[in-house]
Amino acid sequence: MNEISLKNVSKTYDKGKTYSVKNLTLSVKKGQIFGFLGANGAGKTTTMKMLVSLTEPSEGEISIGGKSVKEKETRSRISFMPESPSFYLELTGGEFLIFALSLFRKIEKEDTEKVQVVLDQVGLLHAQKKRIKTYSKGMLQRLGLAQALLNDPDVLFLDEPLDGLDPLGRAEIKKIILALKAKKKTIFFNSHILGDVEEICDVVGIIHKGELVTVGDPKEIKKGHKDLEAAFVSIVTKRK
Amino acid sequence: MMRHSIVIAKNTFKETVRDRIILGSVIIAVIMMLISFFIGTISLDQDIRIIINLSLTAIYLLQIFIAIFIASSLIHKEIERKTFFLILPKPVERQAVILGKALGLLCTVTVVTLITSIALALLLLGKGAISYLPYALVALFFSSLEVILLILVAFLFSLLSSPILSALFTGAIFLIGHSGSIIQTIIERTTSVPTKLILEATYYILPSLEKFNVRNEVIYKVFPDMKTLVFAISYVFIYGVILFYVNRFLFQKKDF
Repeated sequence: MNEISLKNVSKTYDKGKTYSVKNLTLSVKKGQIFGFLGANGAGKTTTMKMLVSLTEPSEGEISIGGKSVKEKETRSRISFMPESPSFYLELTGGEFLIFALSLFRKIEKEDTEKVQVVLDQVGLLHAQKKRIKTYSKGMLQRLGLAQALLNDPDVLFLDEPLDGLDPLGRAEIKKIILALKAKKKTIFFNSHILGDVEEICDVVGIIHKGELVTVGDPKEIKKGHKDLEAAFVSIVTKRK
Repeated sequence: MMRHSIVIAKNTFKETVRDRIILGSVIIAVIMMLISFFIGTISLDQDIRIIINLSLTAIYLLQIFIAIFIASSLIHKEIERKTFFLILPKPVERQAVILGKALGLLCTVTVVTLITSIALALLLLGKGAISYLPYALVALFFSSLEVILLILVAFLFSLLSSPILSALFTGAIFLIGHSGSIIQTIIERTTSVPTKLILEATYYILPSLEKFNVRNEVIYKVFPDMKTLVFAISYVFIYGVILFYVNRFLFQKKDF
């Protein structure tokens, strides 16, 4: 069953003259980790913004679990971790997560515990009472992931989740992502770090200048190449 | 929608009230009030008038500063820093964000008004003139009504332009809003029909903010009559609802 579906989706600017995403059709099955790859400005983030209703597609249809992402019910099933997430700096990490959770439901007593569990999961429990303005880039990235885990979502959209993390941090986040996969969560994941993509993704899609170039099993895509990075460079260069 | 608005309002309140600019502004307002106390002591029988006038002006300027400068940057800052990326994908209506931000900032204005009112009460107590306090509080209530409109005006401009331009435009609306009698005089005297039409449109479309100025009555211990109060509240309600819907429309159309 397709959990995420995009049909002929385009996003244009300058009154339709410039395409950021062009005629994109793809689907992600329930429980899959989908890696969306592309160079800077290829249209990865725009696609993700359309998927989480931050931006309206100019054309086409997007559905999650068969329903429009505009519906509140759909948005309560998903979560989004933006690239280099930005927070309310005067709040503490714990306060921010309580705020984020209260946008999903009324806060109950046990939610404080839930927040602590998530903070522990991303390795931020020690910093829960510190103001966010004192957090390092890696800590901000972890807090971004924490807020995406709070509502126990069925579908997660992660934009460069491993960016800014040290090797240890990356290993921890990859472990969390794989644990989510084991729970049959669907993950749509943008990344520049192709080694990590190859390691954890079931399906990979490559976008170039707004158009989907290829979709498939990373093993299939890298066939005849040293690794996924070499395959990516080769595919994109051919398109130029 | 209301639950989300309250959640966002609480968050906005926490974020803004911890901002050092707000703390600094409150301190400056209290210093101005203390200065009024000392100026009052060296004046001839005008001490209470000076304390009341200068203190109310200090509190009013503090309210206006928050409405114009903090409100102008509040929405824009979130767009620029992309903090909205963490809110809007959640099951939240965009209109709840606008309402919540406005309510949160209004709470901040209310709290700083209360804090500075306590300082005013202490000054009046020190002068044995505490009986003026209820009249001063009514005047501050009226200026808080004006703040509601200015916050929504600042939000409107910040959805259309940069924080600096938004603050400038909101400041211009503030000045025009207090110049109703001047505009009327010009309308009466001008012979140019287009100028007259433009000025009349400005006079009727832009908010008339002088309606909320009852600070001059405080020294005479005069409460505004019921008609003035009902008119001011109705005016803010109607104008505020229109501004809210325009903001809502712009925010819903916004691509991030």
